[in-house]
Amino acid sequence: MMDQAILEYGREKVFQKQTLSRWLKLPEPDREALLELARGLRIGENHFRDFLDWLEEISLRDGASLSQILKGKSIALIWSDSRLGRNDKLKRIKEELRRLRFPRLVRLEGEIQKKIRQMGSGPQIQMTVVPGLEGGALTVQLRATSHEELQRLLAVLRQFSERTEMKEIFDLLAGREQGAELSA
Amino acid sequence: MIFWRGENKVLNYRPDEVIVEIGSEESPILRNLRRALPDVPFTLVEHPKSFLSALQASRDPFGKGKRRLLLMRHKGDFLKKCPGSDGQVCCNYFVINFASNCPMECSYCYLQDYLAQNPALKVFSNVGDLLEEAHKLLSRHRRFFFRIGTGEITDSLALDPYIGISEEIVPFFAEQPNALLELKTKSDCVEGLLRLDPKGRVVVSWSMNPPKVIDEDEHLTASFDERLVAARRCQEAGYRLGFHFDPMIEYPGWEEDYQGMIERIFALVDHQRVAWISMGVLRQTSSLKRIMRQRFPSTRLLSGEQVLCPDGKMRYFQPLRVRMYRKVLRWIREASPTVFVYLCMESKEVWKQVFGFSPSCERELGNQMAHH
Repeated sequence: MMDQAILEYGREKVFQKQTLSRWLKLPEPDREALLELARGLRIGENHFRDFLDWLEEISLRDGASLSQILKGKSIALIWSDSRLGRNDKLKRIKEELRRLRFPRLVRLEGEIQKKIRQMGSGPQIQMTVVPGLEGGALTVQLRATSHEELQRLLAVLRQFSERTEMKEIFDLLAGREQGAELSA
Repeated sequence: MIFWRGENKVLNYRPDEVIVEIGSEESPILRNLRRALPDVPFTLVEHPKSFLSALQASRDPFGKGKRRLLLMRHKGDFLKKCPGSDGQVCCNYFVINFASNCPMECSYCYLQDYLAQNPALKVFSNVGDLLEEAHKLLSRHRRFFFRIGTGEITDSLALDPYIGISEEIVPFFAEQPNALLELKTKSDCVEGLLRLDPKGRVVVSWSMNPPKVIDEDEHLTASFDERLVAARRCQEAGYRLGFHFDPMIEYPGWEEDYQGMIERIFALVDHQRVAWISMGVLRQTSSLKRIMRQRFPSTRLLSGEQVLCPDGKMRYFQPLRVRMYRKVLRWIREASPTVFVYLCMESKEVWKQVFGFSPSCERELGNQMAHH
């Protein structure tokens, strides 16, 4: 019955055979939990594969089943939040799963974002790092509409470059963070 | 689905059959195989087509491919430039492919993907052509110094007790003034080497990982102690040594394990006879990841915090792996302040974060390694 529902869902969303086969090979409670999630969020194949990869990898690492992970408090809270629409729920649950899958990376990305916010650069000076932090670079983007404005922004940027937060961002990007947060 | 338990020793490898393609009957490799495997059936075929198509149709072509050994002539070039990885710092290395696939079963092995359409365990019989090609290249470019390895799409030594390839190529390279041959292995099959004089022109190198990683993910390979003892024996026989800490794996307790591994290596070998050490973290393409998931569903390697890099390979996220490299480099430097250490398949940014510099070009890195 449930497998039939999975196959129907797969047909409706045009899932590849391999994806459906992975889904159908899971233990029954996991199959069911994923079906509930997929139907509730109307998940397409690309998102579904990410979910499945991350859930299996978390499961392997933590020894919890896929359904236990999905029924965990952090995901259950988002799932049951009636204020959130389908898109927001999908986005938030995916973020939460990414956090569970990559806890140290997400923590580090969060620390860098926090330091960027602390500097309060405003909309004309944007500082960003790529998700995953590959390349070890901070991208700084200036938006000026006149020569004077550009000079003012460059002066502000120079001040930012002297800030402790800025040095700490580069330390974090180069794996030189304080403490042992990155240790396994 | 494959589960490996209670084995190790690559020396226990015995193919179920040796398939010999017509044209290989006079090869010294066939003579060695017959001598080493008297109980194994040998089948002479005009073309191994039916064997190859049956293999490709099996459930696990790559794994099944290891069970039979195919001896055939190699029709293309034996010597190739190592392809490296897109956009990564390259060390200007050349490879000789005397065989394809390998009798070992590492869960992370990139050959599972790279040889997916060509999974048979093949050994090439026309060694004379190999040596002639190498001779032509080396004599045409006498002012260029070549570093050449044989461990790119096979293990350099795992099959040596059966095929005796080292006896064919080591004496040749020992006489070449502008080349250094690297034999890269996870085996302890060094008996054949000990009878030869490398004249300082052969480096035998081991891919090293702590015993925990070897037990869990490097199936059918020699144990850590066996590799280390083999390295010591090669050193005593006049070979220079290399160590590849690649792939480095991150897991709870990896620091203690890798530090202990480095201490044990340098307690047994003379660091002044070590030609180089490389470091590289676990990496895989998404297609290799799919294959690993199918062939080794219980491996924990896929649960590391890996992200997609610009060259299409997944690696531990950069701050994490840079931190790993720095730590390992520190432990190496404590044991040997002067040994040459380099990164394999890493970007200039990572080089700078680890060493404080990056090589300006591939020739610079290659030259440093050759003349260190």
